[in-house]
Formats: sequence, structure tokens, C-alpha cells
Amino acid sequence: MDADIKWLDDPETFRVNQLPAHSDHHYYGNYAEWAAGASRFTQSLDGQWQFKFAQTPQERLHGFYALDQDTTDFDSITVPSEIEMNDYAQNNYINTLIPWEGKIYRRPAYALSADDTQAGSFSTGSDNTVGMYRKTFDLDPALRGKAVRVRFEGVERAMYLWLNGHFIGYAEDSFTPSEFDLTPYIQDEGNVMAVEVFKHSTASWIEDQDMFRFSGIFRSVSLLTQPVTHVEDMTIRPVVADNFKDARFNLSLKLAGERAGSVHIMVKDADGNGLLDQSLPVTTAVDLEDVDFHDVHLWDNHDPYLYQLLVEIRDESGKLLEVVPYRFGFRRIEINDDHVVLLNGKRLIINGVNRHEWDDHRGRAITMADMTKDIATFKENNINAVRTCHYPDQISWYYLCDQNGIYMMAENNLESHATWQKMGAIEPSYNVPGSVPQWKDVVVDRARSNYETFKNHTAILFWSLGNESFAGDNLVAMNQFYKEHDDSRLTHYEGVCHTHDYSKQIPSLDPKGYLPAGGTKDYRDQISDVESWMYLPPKQVEEYLKNNPDKPFMECEYMHDMGNSDGGMGSYIELLDKYPQYFGGFIWDFIDQAIAVKDPISGKEVMRYGGDFDDRHSDYEFSGDGLMFADRTPKPAMQEVRYYYGLHK
Amino acid sequence: MAYTNKLHVIYGDGALGVAGDDFHYIFSYERGGLESMKIKGKEWLYRVPTPTFWRATTDNDRGNGFNIRSAQWVGADLFQKCVNIDLTVGDHHFDELPVAPRTNDFMGDEEADGVVISYTFETLTSPATHATVSYEVQVDGQIKVGVHYTGKDGLPELPVFGLRLIMPTEATGFTYEGLSGETYPDRMAGVTHGTFAIKGLPVAKYLVPQENGMHMATDWVEITRDTTQNNADHDRTPFKLKVAKDDQPINFSCLPYTAEELENATHLEELPLARRTVLVIAGAVRGVGGIDSWGADVEQKYHIAADKDIEFSFIMNAK
Repeated sequence: MDADIKWLDDPETFRVNQLPAHSDHHYYGNYAEWAAGASRFTQSLDGQWQFKFAQTPQERLHGFYALDQDTTDFDSITVPSEIEMNDYAQNNYINTLIPWEGKIYRRPAYALSADDTQAGSFSTGSDNTVGMYRKTFDLDPALRGKAVRVRFEGVERAMYLWLNGHFIGYAEDSFTPSEFDLTPYIQDEGNVMAVEVFKHSTASWIEDQDMFRFSGIFRSVSLLTQPVTHVEDMTIRPVVADNFKDARFNLSLKLAGERAGSVHIMVKDADGNGLLDQSLPVTTAVDLEDVDFHDVHLWDNHDPYLYQLLVEIRDESGKLLEVVPYRFGFRRIEINDDHVVLLNGKRLIINGVNRHEWDDHRGRAITMADMTKDIATFKENNINAVRTCHYPDQISWYYLCDQNGIYMMAENNLESHATWQKMGAIEPSYNVPGSVPQWKDVVVDRARSNYETFKNHTAILFWSLGNESFAGDNLVAMNQFYKEHDDSRLTHYEGVCHTHDYSKQIPSLDPKGYLPAGGTKDYRDQISDVESWMYLPPKQVEEYLKNNPDKPFMECEYMHDMGNSDGGMGSYIELLDKYPQYFGGFIWDFIDQAIAVKDPISGKEVMRYGGDFDDRHSDYEFSGDGLMFADRTPKPAMQEVRYYYGLHK
Repeated sequence: MAYTNKLHVIYGDGALGVAGDDFHYIFSYERGGLESMKIKGKEWLYRVPTPTFWRATTDNDRGNGFNIRSAQWVGADLFQKCVNIDLTVGDHHFDELPVAPRTNDFMGDEEADGVVISYTFETLTSPATHATVSYEVQVDGQIKVGVHYTGKDGLPELPVFGLRLIMPTEATGFTYEGLSGETYPDRMAGVTHGTFAIKGLPVAKYLVPQENGMHMATDWVEITRDTTQNNADHDRTPFKLKVAKDDQPINFSCLPYTAEELENATHLEELPLARRTVLVIAGAVRGVGGIDSWGADVEQKYHIAADKDIEFSFIMNAK
């Protein structure tokens, strides 16, 4: 198969030759590797890559991936990093409008009619910058002679991959891992990997998040091989019994490779006491169902108690081939008959923040140090929950939330704000994904990738379908995907509120403010287990809560912390004492998006925000809504948050 | 000057001097206020204190259009029109200010138990109203400052009402007894009460400079400087001025900038080099709000109505 640039224009082509998404477990050759955090099966490709930049697809270097390509005029770029932060392409911050606002007339393919393909929309887009990356590498000795795949943890926004001149595959969905099999073309030495990264594709319509718009390989790249028998996918399903003391443990393994030897499954508590120790023969699938555990130690924010699962694969002679460690907790989230959200049988209160991945020097290519600092800030300030706005975060963040008891709303990479809200009015005339058939698979795939990758994380209590994308049959399909695959979590989606008439539940709201003119199909019964709004004032939240709330209520965004703000938070917090159906919310947001630059006038390092790069249209200082300044120091309002979030710990 | 338990009053032709053991104040008739506040040989005022009616627009103010609705207070804040000065020395109220040639009748050894001088300003608003600042000097050098705003129908809500004192040089820091951190009427639940020493004059690093640094419900604040503009003053020993509550706790901010300087900058680095100390003692502070930044107003109880009187007082050079 050859790469086709027209895939950029086609919402139905979003993954070519990509391996299926699977759980994010680490795997090692032995226990020493696990202890050292260094698996023999992985080889990092992070570091310096050769790089060439083109302003448009037409100007790109065709065939740059060829082995005989002269690369003497290529630059060098650090992977991971943002192309814009390397000063090849212009920084731009824009909120709800699309980045090409006022520059290029586009509509999403098929949104206005079934035969409107919008051919060439992105493949000939004059705004579609291209990053061409090349990396020459030798395989580490441990990876030679084996099946090898490559994993890109995050690439904005569409990427084509070649190895040694051969086309390998194509991926969109900037914020979930993309894996490709390299085995047919990999050699021990002198491999040339080439990645062509386009800033825009049809994915741009559904990645219209309120953020600096970057492109590039902004998360890590690694090579992975597998032992001859390998845990390809793993589903841990701990089920807490009705007495909240006992539990049933379920484990499903999908094994790849040779069907010989044994699988040894162990579960230990935090003190190392064994709860389960079982060996089973290797088959393609290994399932443990309803193993009874008694007197389990439950997991929650105060006591994020994790059990240690160990899966060993041994060959027929008993030699250890692979060890898969995973820590999981027992917890149960549900909605009771009174429409109250319960965690482990007790009322759940979300003292949350929305958190973009941000580093003032690195953009969204954040580091482990950023993540551990953020967790420390959460702990200091009684923040017990995070919404991964509005895309999946780096994998390490989910492990940190498990370990630190941070409740997660794990959001899909989906926002199509520009397609349905115009100058404040709800105007979904060309909304995608909506109910447009050609936009269904791509968003369900995003739901699947999010689920499959992160399904074993105890911290995730909610799957969030996305942000500000209106509603339609395709959102229903995403909701259904989660319902069909996971009965241990709730689904969340706010945008469905724009399809329902709330004149009985929230009488003081003017329907013109939240419903499209001419009405729309009501999806409220099909999407989201919880009633979610953003920035609904306390008085109207109370109206909903007083009028027989039939879904528990939360604010997925509230207390907009732009500049000197966060006044009046108590009016929300006191509702928690009056209405059990109210379960809190996520402050918008955790950290200012601003970029540290050296000021040419003063010579000092200063913060730049939207519009400061001559980027137009921009939403300017609207990028600065954090409880933290961009340099990760707290805003003065943090003491208020610490106090109010401490009232319902 | 020999020790006396009375104030020494100097009847100048354009100003009234009031002095004691270690202080010397000059109340200007021309400049509309306290022109000089010299304590232990150090000057504490750059220009006369003036009523303040503006705070640098916050992002939420901009979002809900408060800055537009209340814009005329910017002019009232920037430009002051003093329309009356009222003087009482000891028991004697001057029906007319003692200016030349009446000042020729004094001997130069006048003393008093107290001096009260008040300045009334007409606000440059439509309709206009008045604000009065009165200084009551006590024999020990303490000045009780009373500030009164006369409510008027037809005026937009106020962002703040207070008295602004600008000091000639940048303070090295300040210490206050009150609430931790930056507080506003609608954001003071998370505080601890105590005495806090602040180094320098920190400006909160909001991306767009805006109102910041307010401290509500304060018992006292003491400002420390170690420089003056006096070319003959070579001493760099730190010296302090204490401002304390009178009958009610005070609200204050202590920054190197005026509201207008903050207002004019779109980035922190556009602010002028810090060179002064701007102390605002606020009798009324509008909340900052927080529901959203594109229309939601501050909760009603944290607004400042312009049709109601506002009155507050505090002690300068508090002992």
C-alpha cells in the first residue's frame, strides 16, 4: 500500500495499518528490569531527529523518506517537542473559532450534504504545515531478530510513517498511542524511520480545543518487541460486593505468540500477602472469573490502596519470559435510586480541576516533573479529581492518579466547538460529528482507544465523551461503546444539554441561550449518566436540584479562573450541603497556558499569551484561566480553593 | 524644637504646617491635601493623597462589561478637583482660610491641641458628587484620616472607594496584621489570621496586569523603606510608617503602581520600572466574581452602589 495524501481530507480514513489499541501495561523480562524500570523489550527513539519543515503540503519534500534522500540540508529537532515551540511555525492560541477563521473557507466533509467530500480541503490547504522527521537507528541487541513495533504516544495531528523507504501506516487522534508493526522491514542496523506530520486533516474539525494549536511529535516514541509469548491486552475488573467488604476479581488476558508454557497470576496486598496465586496454560485468551476476595481494602482519595497484580509468562521449561506488573484498586461507583452518585457506597463529591497538559517552555510536551508537581499541588490544595480536558493525557498521569487517589474523568480527544457555536449562539448547521454517518467511526474509534488504553486504571470513575461537540447519533454511539464494554464506570457528556428543553427543570434559563433555533432532537436520555453543565450560575444549579433531579448534577467546568477571579465560590459549595444530587465540579482550569519567551526589549523572561505571536484570529489572554500561573506557582485564589475543597474532603 | 505636649502650628501663605517632636506635616491649600508627611526626617508623600475610584479592570470586569458601565470613574480617579478646604485649629474654626495677608497677624509660636483640616473634592462624573478627606492631627503625631463619599443617584457602581497615598520611593516590604494572601469581599473564606511580612511590593502575575493585591479586614500595615529622594539624605537605615485601623478594620493594597498604570499594560513587562509605593486604603471594595469571564456579574452583595454614602477612617503614623 502507498500513502495517499487524500486521507487528510477523508473523515473515514483515520487509521491505516495501526495495531489495535490495548491496555497500557508495562512488561519486563524479569523482576530486576521491573525494579529498575528498564525493560529489555523497549528502546526509546526520543532525542534528536533530522527535520525539515514545509509551509504547505505542496512545498513539502516529496519522497523525503527514501533511503537515498540527501538530507544534508535537514535541521535537527528534539523529539518529543512542538514544531511551533521550535519556531518553525507560528504559535496560535484560539478558543472556539477554527484556526483558519477568516483565512480559508471550509466546511467539514459531508456535514452539509452526503456528496460534499470537500476534496482537497486539507491536502491542498495553504495553512497545512508539514514536519518531515527522519531518524536513523540501530536496534538494541535485545530487540534483534524479533517482531518489532513502534509506538507514538502523541502526534498532532495526522502522521504518515515509513521505515527504510517502505510505507508503514497512517494515524490521526493526536492524543492516544499509535502503534505500527515494523517487523517486515526492520533490520539490525542502519534503519531509517521517516514521519510526515501534517498540522491539519479532517481531525482538525474534532480537535478544536481551547488551546494553543501545535503540531509535531510531542510525546515519546519507542520501539517495542515482545517475548515469544506476550500479554498483548489485559482487562482487570475488580468488582466490589454489596457489603463493601468483599469483592470479586476478574482478569482477562489476550496472549500473542507461541501457545506453550504457562501463565502465573498472582495478586498481593500492599504488605506483600498473597491473595491469589494461580497457574494456567497459555492459550490465546486466559480468563479468571469471579475470584472471591474477602475483606478487601477499598481504594479512594483518602486511602488510595492498591493491590499488586503480577502476571508471569513462563515457557515449558518454567523459564520466565515476561512479567507484567499492574497495581489496581477495589472501588465501586454507582448512581442510587435517589440519583446520588456513590463511591464505595458513600456519596461522591468532586473537588476537581480541569487540567490541560502545559509547560511554559515546552507547550504540551510536558515532563514527568510537571506531572509530579501537579499531583503535589492537588494534594496540598484538597483537589481530589481531574478532568483530562479535552483529550487523553500522557499515560504516566493515569498511574499517578491511581497511586494518589485522584478521581479521573477520562475524556476523549473530541471537541468540535466551531461547528455548532457561533458568536455565542447555538447554531449546529454544519456540526460534526453530529449524526453525519461518515463521522461515526472516527469518534467511536477515539472512544475505543481511550477505553482500551486506560481501562485498567482504578482512578477513572467517568468516561467523558468529549467536550463541546453538540450532540447527535454519533455521540450516542460513543456512549453505547462505553456501556457495552464497561459497567464499572459512568459516562459523562455536557454537550447533550443543548438538545433538551429545561423549561421545567431550570425555569429561569432562556432556551435561546442553550437550544438551537428551530429545535433539535432530544438526546438527553441516550447520552451521559450524569447531568453536566458548565458555568451554570449557583441559582440555576439550585433550580435544577429543586425540581426532582432525575440525573445527578455536576459542573464539568465552573469557577472560571481567568486573571483575578474565583470570587463567590462559596455559593456553589454550600449547594453540596443542601442537595445530595449535586456532586461538585471541575474548576476551569488548573494552569495558565502561556509561553515563556525572552523579551527582546527588557531581555527578561516573560509570559506570552494568545495574539502575542501576531497570531490572528486569537482569543488573547483567554489562554490564562488557571489556578496556577504558567510557571507553576499558585495564583492568590488558591487559598480559597484549598479552603472550600477542604470542606467536603 | 523644645519638647511640648502641643502641636506647633505654622501658618504659611499657601500651606499650614503642623509639627511635633519627630514629625512635620504640611497641608497645602494649593495642592488640595497633605503635601508633606515627614516623620523622623523622612518624607512619606510624593504627591497629596487623593480619593481613588478605580481599580485596574479584571478579566471578569471586562467580560461582564463592568469597565464600560463604570468608565466615568476612571476620569474621577485620574483628575481631582478640590472645591473646599475647611480648617479647625484647636477650638478655633476658620470660617475663611488663614492666607495672606491675614497670616501677618500670627507670631510664629502658635500651638494647638489638635488640628483638623478637610478637603472636599467634586467628582468629575455626571452627575457630580463629592468626596471629603479630613485629617485630624493629634499631639502625638497620629493622624486620623476620615474619608467620606456622598452617594448620588444616577452614577454607575464603583469598582472601589478609598484613599491613595503615593510614596516617593519603592518600599522594601510591608508587614500587616490581618488575613493571609490576596483577599476580596467575595474571596476571603480560605484565609488564616495573623501577621504577615511581605518582601518587596509583589504584583500578582496575571497575564494581563489587573487589580491585585487587596488585603481585606486588616488591623494595621507597616511599610518599610530605606531610600528617600532627598539628595542630602545618605542614610539607608530602614524606616517605617504604620497605618492602622480606627474603629473598623481597613482594607489595603500596597503596590508599585496606580490603577491606571496597571490598566495601561497588556503584559507585566510593559509596566514602568517600579520606583514608588502606592498604598490604597479602601473603604469599599467590589468583589472579583468568578462564575465565568464572559458575562456573569459579581454576586450582588459584593457590588458597591454609588447612590449610598461610604465612610471610613484610619490612623496614619499610628503609634
